[in-house]
Amino acid sequence: MTQRVFQVLRNALVLASFAFIIAIGGGTSIRVASADETCMSPYMAKITGQEEYLYVWTLGVDGVGDGSDKLVTIDVRPESPTYGKVINAVSVGGRHEAHHAGLTDDRRFLWASGLDTSTIFIFDVHSDPAQPKLVKTINDFVKVSGGVVGPHTNYALPGRMMLTGLSNDKDHGGLTALVEYTNQGNYVATHWMPHAQDTMGARVEQVADGYGYDVRVLPRKNVMLTSSFTGWSNYMMDFGKMLQDPEAMKRFGQTMVLWDYHTRKPKTVFNVPGAPLEIRFAWGAQNNYAFTSTALTSKLWLIYEDVNGEWQAKAVADIGDPAKIPLPVDISISADDSTLFVDSFMDGTVRVFDISDPHSPKQIHEQVIGKQLNMVSQSWDGERVYFTSSLLANWDKKGEDNEQFLKAYDWDGNTLTHRFTVDFTEEALGRPHIMRFGAKSLYGS
Amino acid sequence: MARENGRWPRRIRVAALGVGFLSLGAIAWCESAIAHDARQHIVPKDRVELTFGRSVDYDYDPPEPGSYVLPTLGNAADGRMRAPDGRTRNLYEVMDDRICVLAFIYTRCTDPDGCPLSMGLLDTLDFVGKSDPIVGDALRLITISFDPEYDTPEVIGAFAADYREEASEGGDWVFLTAGSQAELKPVLKAYDQPIGRKSDAEDSLGPFVHQLRVYLIDRRHRIRNIYSLGFLDPRLVITDVRTLLLEEQKAR
Repeated sequence: MTQRVFQVLRNALVLASFAFIIAIGGGTSIRVASADETCMSPYMAKITGQEEYLYVWTLGVDGVGDGSDKLVTIDVRPESPTYGKVINAVSVGGRHEAHHAGLTDDRRFLWASGLDTSTIFIFDVHSDPAQPKLVKTINDFVKVSGGVVGPHTNYALPGRMMLTGLSNDKDHGGLTALVEYTNQGNYVATHWMPHAQDTMGARVEQVADGYGYDVRVLPRKNVMLTSSFTGWSNYMMDFGKMLQDPEAMKRFGQTMVLWDYHTRKPKTVFNVPGAPLEIRFAWGAQNNYAFTSTALTSKLWLIYEDVNGEWQAKAVADIGDPAKIPLPVDISISADDSTLFVDSFMDGTVRVFDISDPHSPKQIHEQVIGKQLNMVSQSWDGERVYFTSSLLANWDKKGEDNEQFLKAYDWDGNTLTHRFTVDFTEEALGRPHIMRFGAKSLYGS
Repeated sequence: MARENGRWPRRIRVAALGVGFLSLGAIAWCESAIAHDARQHIVPKDRVELTFGRSVDYDYDPPEPGSYVLPTLGNAADGRMRAPDGRTRNLYEVMDDRICVLAFIYTRCTDPDGCPLSMGLLDTLDFVGKSDPIVGDALRLITISFDPEYDTPEVIGAFAADYREEASEGGDWVFLTAGSQAELKPVLKAYDQPIGRKSDAEDSLGPFVHQLRVYLIDRRHRIRNIYSLGFLDPRLVITDVRTLLLEEQKAR
């Protein structure tokens, strides 16, 4: 029946009703009411050849240089006279717990966020890739997002940025949200994580803790995946003190959430205990899976689409000896999906896994990089690998173990060969954390 | 039948009440049917875009139109452009009162992950518009060249003819170019569409470095989505168009 027929019928009924009511008169009243290079966003242009610059988002240290957080640029052009040297540093003033940073889809801007003050710094890296410039600061992230605290991952979507939060301004615990901005830095939307009081229609394996950490998208499957860490009250606490606090140790994420990417609606809350951190989707056209590592339980997890088209999560390998709590913190997948680098903080070690069978990773290499180790980034061709040392200001090791470095290596598939080290303490820079690549060739003239 | 003390007999009043409630129920049913029918009008069961099915690049079923929100990402700017006949046309004039899908391209681009990809998307959308009158009446496609030195009005006209048999003006797919770099620059800036010249002007894929972006613009000239590589699924774009149409219907 057409819309027009329904409209005519509806109107006729309304008229007839009124006529009848009027006809019978009084007595009845009726009212009618109507009612990394290999870890980058797939949307981003890639540097498939030699990267030229490393941008290192660096935590300030009291008494070291100006003591402020800064974006440090290192020249990695092999033929350059300043190869392996710091060629630029932009101080943002103050310490904000500099942690993660990410490029916009056009790679013209680098968003770098502070976990403590929830401040976001936007750097122009295209006008002069050798000398990024701070062009915008977002100071009202907590207010505009509706109470999200601790912007972490800055992930490129077409024309916009997706930021993960780590905490909230009510109790500074782990309940948090995803927050979207335009590339220009205008707030777009907040998507709270599914939690016990509101699972938002998601299927929950065991618990919906509402925690957040990383986000990645697999566009061709229309899925988005998030992981979970801990809130402000923990990540800003002294590491040793936290380990001695049983209540604090209960406040770690134990979930990953699979989302319908286009609608931004959560579909499944997986049970992944032990604080699953970085997420890396495979690149192969038929490889419908992602890896993560759990910090507290020291395991590699695979999140994959099974033969029935259903997404599953399972632990597939140990990282070192979990009983020794090596604390895996970052992973990097190769562009051909054959190997996965896994950094662990406590033993300062990188382990390389053969993941050609993603359901059964095999460790093929292990090497101590320093006394503490955090982020790892590899080139698209897999021939160069870079490491940094710092985890969090209050979690880094103390005394002589508090090495702060960026180290560059060559990787031939079997061996890591050291190329250069930048000592961030000696250079009066601070604690280096995440690295992003730059190249002039991306932008043309 | 006589009134008693100015009132109808009780059995008549009870019957009237019953008829009244039945009428209300019928009206509510009609309202629901109208809403359902209007939705079916915008989202027919045999949506043409669903006939495309899944592909290796877009291996999922698109969401139901209207089951999500498309937030405003900013305002779509006006700008002075040139039509294939050389006349000056303002973008807002071209957009008219349509939902628009707008793409910046240049005709010399042969990068398979570049302009040919967005042209393929618009070509498919053009097909959907011609197959579905609800989408066709609402949708306008706009292709703008950012290479005015090469893509003169004549060149963009010939390029348009390759895609459409009809003349570019007056149809649902409008092809435009810029009169000069001075006219083009503010438009590219307003849409945040970065363009750069490659160091090798003879690059076989074309002389420009550019970020592939396609914009969905509502009738109030607001950007409601941006599509790029990995996200150029015509099923999703049409789903978004239908979502905007449902949004308009709800607001009436």
